[in-house]
Amino acid sequence: MISLAFSVVITVPVLLFVYHQTDSLFEERIHDRVADDERDLMFAYSTAGAAGLPAAINQALMTGELRGGVALLVDQSGHKIAGNLSAWPPVLPTPSEWSEIRLFQEGQVRPDLFAIRTLALPTGQRLLLGTAISERERMRAALVEALLGALLLAIPLGLIGGWVVLKIAERRARAVGHVATRIAAGDFSHRLDEETGGEEFAMLAAAINAMLERIEELVEQLRLVTDSLAHDLRSPLTRMRANMERAAAVDDRERQQQALEAVSLDIDRMLRLISATLEISSTEAGAGKDHFEHFDLSALLGDIGEIYNPIAEERGMQIVTEAAAALAYTGNRQSIGRAVANLVDNAIKYGGGPIELGASEDGEFIKLWVADGGAGIPAELREQALGKYRRLEESRTMEGSGLGLALARAVARLHGGDIELQDNGPGLRVLLSLRRNVSLL
Amino acid sequence: MTKKILVVEDDGTTADYVAKGFEQNGYVVDIASNGRDGLFHATDGNYAAIVLDRMLPGMDGLAVLGAVRAAGIDTPVIVLSALGSTDERVKGLKSGSDDYLAKPFAFSELLARVEALQRRGPSGAQPIVTALRCSDLAMDLLARRVERGGARVDLQPREFRLLELLLRNKGQVVTRTMMLEEVWDYHFDPGTNVIDVHISRLRKKIDEGGREPLLHTVRGVGYMLSESA
Repeated sequence: MISLAFSVVITVPVLLFVYHQTDSLFEERIHDRVADDERDLMFAYSTAGAAGLPAAINQALMTGELRGGVALLVDQSGHKIAGNLSAWPPVLPTPSEWSEIRLFQEGQVRPDLFAIRTLALPTGQRLLLGTAISERERMRAALVEALLGALLLAIPLGLIGGWVVLKIAERRARAVGHVATRIAAGDFSHRLDEETGGEEFAMLAAAINAMLERIEELVEQLRLVTDSLAHDLRSPLTRMRANMERAAAVDDRERQQQALEAVSLDIDRMLRLISATLEISSTEAGAGKDHFEHFDLSALLGDIGEIYNPIAEERGMQIVTEAAAALAYTGNRQSIGRAVANLVDNAIKYGGGPIELGASEDGEFIKLWVADGGAGIPAELREQALGKYRRLEESRTMEGSGLGLALARAVARLHGGDIELQDNGPGLRVLLSLRRNVSLL
Repeated sequence: MTKKILVVEDDGTTADYVAKGFEQNGYVVDIASNGRDGLFHATDGNYAAIVLDRMLPGMDGLAVLGAVRAAGIDTPVIVLSALGSTDERVKGLKSGSDDYLAKPFAFSELLARVEALQRRGPSGAQPIVTALRCSDLAMDLLARRVERGGARVDLQPREFRLLELLLRNKGQVVTRTMMLEEVWDYHFDPGTNVIDVHISRLRKKIDEGGREPLLHTVRGVGYMLSESA
């Protein structure tokens, strides 16, 4: 139905335009013909005078030079002087521009339609010139016929074309819908064909595919986070259950106490995991900008180094702090402290000595780093290590939330910078860049 | 005289848990289950400390705190909140609370903090102390000197601060997070037994050589300095 209306809406104005143009072209040619006759006769009139005009008319009629084919010259009283009409048509004023009248040409039985033009000559004579336009009428009829035919042809063609276009669009839409259904069913691997189907559809397919790519990534991330969180909560929960059962089963007060303490340790561990997760999300969401303060980053590194040095020494490692005497900075001291502490904690747990803490100014940024001399992280695993819960497999069994790097990254980004993992040859070097004047952003 | 504690907490289970804990430690506890009652009690009663939940029906905990302080009541207030992040903590402390504890918490941690608050006295009115003592352990705050049985003990500046904190809270439990907060001014949970190592170093310095141990471990809670366990 739509394609029918569409083809009519498109075809009819086109046909009307064609009709109008053809018709006015024809009209122009008719007028031109009569105008030529007029010019020729007026030339004769001006050279030969009033007496020469009838002769010129008769000659032109005889030789067929009169292109319009109709001429009549009458005197003041309306008597015919020359021409091929028997009498001056009544009701026709002189002079007059174009009018269309039916006239009997001399020697003709049926009247014909003529386009007529009249002139008053200075002598008082009147001249009529005209041409048959039955030809034009026939042409008009033929044109209308042809155009109606074209319209009748255009409608089914339009319908078929519309239907074909509709089918193609429908097939593409069905392909999109198909992929969408698959994805709704949980299979994220499907993608649209970006090669076939013309530029517009390729563009659409590419955009949808990019969106799907992102969604798949996010879902994958979320799944990993929930899986890991579940995994990390399951072990303390299992241990807690065992300890509770043991506490309930034994009579010995001392051993009961021990089991319950183990339970409370596990609870603490889970609470830490949850609060670290929450802290990261709120830092990622930009919380903490309200609590920026002025402080000395070098002093902060010194503090963290001092807090962790005894435990590092217990494990045979040294913490060395290398920073300028004072590095004034405005930022969230608590979250930066926590991030650095996490990195040092990681270095002690997973890395090896010596552990180096450092800070230096670098243009608009201040760089903080925590480097260790352990095994490091292979280049291809570094991006993976930055993700939430992405404890690398070999360290999965060790205690820890796997959130240290993710938190450090969130904190660096809160301060307009980022995190970078580098090779310390040997060991890992975690570099945090913090933008100066971040509070002005 | 028995000490009174006001607990402003809308969650019945938590309120009972906290009240029972304080009662077992010799306190009398009043419970208010919403902000308005809490404010009413606070302006009326003579409490040793107020335990105030951050999120209350009717009136926000921090608004209650503001009203209490505006009424000129300087009873120590410890804010409890499920909003555990560092920033929430700063907000709580800025609005006039004396301490802040994230939910969920161990009662022992709350008790240790409430007792430390009372020792410190009304907010802003710290008594000036120049010497602290526990048995034969003496600290001279002006000369920054520590002696055990008359013999000088050499301490690092932080060890000195740590010991000062323990001495100020003599006979009371000081938790690990309290130490990190008071000595280093960081409010995160260090996770590994970082603080324990500092304590064991301090213990080596003050308790070594077969002397009567003063620095005791309170299992699952923290540490306490006292003459006898």
